Amino acid sequence: MNTPQPNVLPKGVSASDFELALTEIRAIVGADHVLAEGTALAPYNKIMMAVPDEQHAPSAAVMPANVEQVQAIMRVLNQRRIPVYPISTGKNLGYGSAAPVERGQLVMDLRRMNRILDVDAELCTALVEPGVTYQQLYDYLQEKKLPLWFSCPTPSVIAGPLGNMVDRGVGYTPYGEHFLFSSGMEVVLADGEVLRTGMGSMPGSNTWQVFKWGYGPTLDGIFTQSNYGIVTKMGMWLMPAPPDYRPFLIQYPEDTDITKIVDALRPLRIAMVIPNAVVIAHTLWEAPCTKVNRADYHPGPGAISDEAVQKIRKDHNLGAWNVYAALYGTPETNAANWKIIEAVAAATGGTLITESADQGGRATQYRFDLMKGKPNLGEFDLYNWRGGGGSMWFAPVSQAKGSETLKQMQLAKGILAKYGFDYVGEFIVGWRDMHHVIDLLYDRSDAEEMKKAYACFDELLQAFAREGYGVYRASTAFAEKVAATYGPVKRDVERRLKRALDPNNIIAPGRCGISL
Amino acid sequence: MHSTARTILAGFVLVCTQAAVAADQPVEVRDPTYAKVCSYCHDKGIGPAIVGRQLPTVYIENVVRHGFRAMPSFRPTEIDNAALASVARWVSESAAAKK
Repeated sequence: MNTPQPNVLPKGVSASDFELALTEIRAIVGADHVLAEGTALAPYNKIMMAVPDEQHAPSAAVMPANVEQVQAIMRVLNQRRIPVYPISTGKNLGYGSAAPVERGQLVMDLRRMNRILDVDAELCTALVEPGVTYQQLYDYLQEKKLPLWFSCPTPSVIAGPLGNMVDRGVGYTPYGEHFLFSSGMEVVLADGEVLRTGMGSMPGSNTWQVFKWGYGPTLDGIFTQSNYGIVTKMGMWLMPAPPDYRPFLIQYPEDTDITKIVDALRPLRIAMVIPNAVVIAHTLWEAPCTKVNRADYHPGPGAISDEAVQKIRKDHNLGAWNVYAALYGTPETNAANWKIIEAVAAATGGTLITESADQGGRATQYRFDLMKGKPNLGEFDLYNWRGGGGSMWFAPVSQAKGSETLKQMQLAKGILAKYGFDYVGEFIVGWRDMHHVIDLLYDRSDAEEMKKAYACFDELLQAFAREGYGVYRASTAFAEKVAATYGPVKRDVERRLKRALDPNNIIAPGRCGISL
Repeated sequence: MHSTARTILAGFVLVCTQAAVAADQPVEVRDPTYAKVCSYCHDKGIGPAIVGRQLPTVYIENVVRHGFRAMPSFRPTEIDNAALASVARWVSESAAAKK
């Protein structure tokens, strides 16, 4: 843990040129806000992906305090052709964390820029900087006694809305498709110019956070999952806290029940009877979060057996599939819709569990909190399932059709088992789609297991691509391979955009497979 | 009809406000970094309990900066050096949690 790392340089940059650049950057942000020594950079090199740390080692880290400093740094880097990897809260765990996509990139850590610039309680909007965490926003709304909710992902205590939206992450309230509920960005371009998207470009406009489109092409999308600019502000919509919130869990006993679950719930989701992102979690997602110890059921190597999974279900009262959703409204509207939920659960053979019937301690509690946007870290229990700190999210998109889900689950489970890994998966029902999220958990302290995890992920990716299934998001270690599954024309257009906006290829080259 | 709508809306806002102000934080006095970051795992059985074990401050600081297995690393922009020294000292000197 204390082994100093050798100095790392950006690709194609000499030590002396790099030092000159750092000297100029120190003059902009102050020497205390530039890290270039091996041990000090350790927090920027902690990854969970199945590749060596060295592959994602940074050369240095710079920590600007404001957008003017970001602009000044970009002018230096652009002139000196030094690649930079911007991060917000740096907690994209299992997708690359705070480490650069390519070895030697200089990390621009925007966590100090952590102002909540505006919350409009009437319009239910917020404008935040990259370093704002969900917990910080939650505390702000509580302190100001504002009855507003947001949607957050599972690492919400330490992660933040801007970075999550920029990576097109998802959450669990009716605003769970996060990018859909953003409104307006401020972006620093490679040459230091500042762009405000949508209505933000218009001098004197006060509609930046309420009207997303502006005039002409809507540009926000090209600054998500890309490397065309550095997002330094983002508008987001907040949800009025409903007078009545009714979270619930429906458990189903068999793996094959997934087909009828999805087909029964889809109409309710599309019609917004259930307005939030429904989660359908498999037993092995629930088990760790219910403090089940894997070794008690499967002490040996290899994937856990179906018989052991059955025993876990029985011993701990878990479903094969565990459906989490909620009603948001007035007591009257929720009472009416609750009858529909009860009818659907009964008709599909599910066991309906409510907050009052199942309190505290189990997976249910953190799920019920997440569905109202209350930050917690309950899902980090997943990491105790295998131990060893290895985690990579494999997240193919599926139609919200029962037949598709079972096919995807069986395909994934078979490939995972071949390499000795368990199917730890869930489906998050977006609206008409589902994010099929699988946590490839492995022991990263075991070199052999790490190799297997890499090979397993690679096979998952290729096998799913052959079936026409693409992932919605991917770790930096697999960016190039994932981009390749989407075909050549899209990549060519992405390169043309890169050439136009960042001709010196200095912003995160390689991110999402985009580079010159 | 308008006045009815206003009454309903006023009730809606009142209920919302009441829901939003419900006490959320524990009253026990703790180091602020511990309360806002560490406790979410180390008091919940996700990470191991670390209070009451007289762990050396140097060890704690090292684990925070480097991470350890599934525990994420924390950068100076998240927990600055002064806050890190404070939380390390607090954890090291803390008594075991009351059962």
